[in-house]
Amino acid sequence: MRGLIQLFAAYGNFLLFLLLEGIALLLVVQFNQKQHDILNHSLLLLTTSMEHRVDRISEYIDMKEELVKLQGENQRLKAQLESAKFSNAVTRDTAVSDSLEQLYTYIAADVVSNSVLNTSNYLRLDRGSMHGVEPHMGVISQDGIVGVVRAVTDHYCNVMSILHRQTRIKAAIGSEGYFGTLSWDGKDPDFMQLSAVPKHANVSPGDTVFTSGYSQLFPPGLIIGTVDEVTVPKGQNFFDITVDLRNDIRKLQSVYIVIDEMRDEHQQLDEAIDE
Amino acid sequence: MNNAVLTNISRFLLLLFIQGLILKRLSLGWEGIVYVNVMIYPLFILLMPLRTPRPVILLSAFALGIGVDLFYGTLGLHTSATVLTAYARSYVLAFMEPREGYNVNYSPTKARMGAPWFLRYASIMMGIHLIAYFSIDAFSPQFFFSIVIKALYTFLFSLFFIIIIMQLFNPTD
Repeated sequence: MRGLIQLFAAYGNFLLFLLLEGIALLLVVQFNQKQHDILNHSLLLLTTSMEHRVDRISEYIDMKEELVKLQGENQRLKAQLESAKFSNAVTRDTAVSDSLEQLYTYIAADVVSNSVLNTSNYLRLDRGSMHGVEPHMGVISQDGIVGVVRAVTDHYCNVMSILHRQTRIKAAIGSEGYFGTLSWDGKDPDFMQLSAVPKHANVSPGDTVFTSGYSQLFPPGLIIGTVDEVTVPKGQNFFDITVDLRNDIRKLQSVYIVIDEMRDEHQQLDEAIDE
Repeated sequence: MNNAVLTNISRFLLLLFIQGLILKRLSLGWEGIVYVNVMIYPLFILLMPLRTPRPVILLSAFALGIGVDLFYGTLGLHTSATVLTAYARSYVLAFMEPREGYNVNYSPTKARMGAPWFLRYASIMMGIHLIAYFSIDAFSPQFFFSIVIKALYTFLFSLFFIIIIMQLFNPTD
């Protein structure tokens, strides 16, 4: 109570002013048509703009659900691509018996953790053995390749990033189809090195570099990046090519794990040779 | 003391009726060409004695504004402008305080403070009052240009009338 009196002693005039001015303005908007209309219109504008903002926030909250739906759709679409099919076309005399079989299917996953600063980088994804992930499966993103699954638990898997010193990936170049081995020197996460492309190949900066399909990790024809720089070291028969990666590993959010449906057959074949 | 109260009450009524009965018609006749209004009723706020407590100034400004609004049929418009002017009065007075200070028994009139001082005082107070009035009249910053034009015309005419009144009657308190 004493505090209230002190407040009035200190700010009484101002409070009285606010009270009287408030009454006056209330009268203005209550009894004058023009001011009344302007106030109503302004309040309407204010509330609609606020509603608009709240709408946008709730859209953002719903985005996670949308993302899962889109990932599912992408999974299905990717599995329908021609590169994901195994062609059973066989020619006997002139009759062609053609049928396609599913070769690659995909599992959508979100990146849990990621690093690009070390010379050996790993990612962690939120899909594991429960979802059908196994070691030695390839991981791609929507604009390039990401890495290879190294270890799995029930819910998570660890991926060896392509930004790793031990990365060796067969990659084809240009339209001629020469291929080399893609590796990383541990410096710039935007660039990788392509070696073992023979000197007689016709390579120039700007050529696309894509997956060769010689391994069971990645479907063939997936674009990795473009040629940035081409040099020939003295006394060598191979180019040293710097590849500008198409995807930015630093900003990865959502990726796809590649499942090769014929993998067991490949293993059986390997075992058969060993015997 | 009683004398000052009586003087101010009669001044209140006189200015209210001059404004509501005579000057209102004057401005109505010219409406349409240039929106010229003559407002002299803030003179009551201007001339209140320096020792008047601020709550009294605010409350009498509210009463004066309501009175003028009843004549003009714009309830609240003149009231809000007049209350603002009354609240600003003590700041304007503090800002314009002469070197030797005020004599609290005086009123800020032309006879007491001198013509140049009073002219500046009246200009600032009328400026505040008219800008406030026309802003609330337009009720939107969109009409900024028309607010300034209207306030400027009304300011010139009103100040002219105030000077004439002060010349004619020249009240000391």
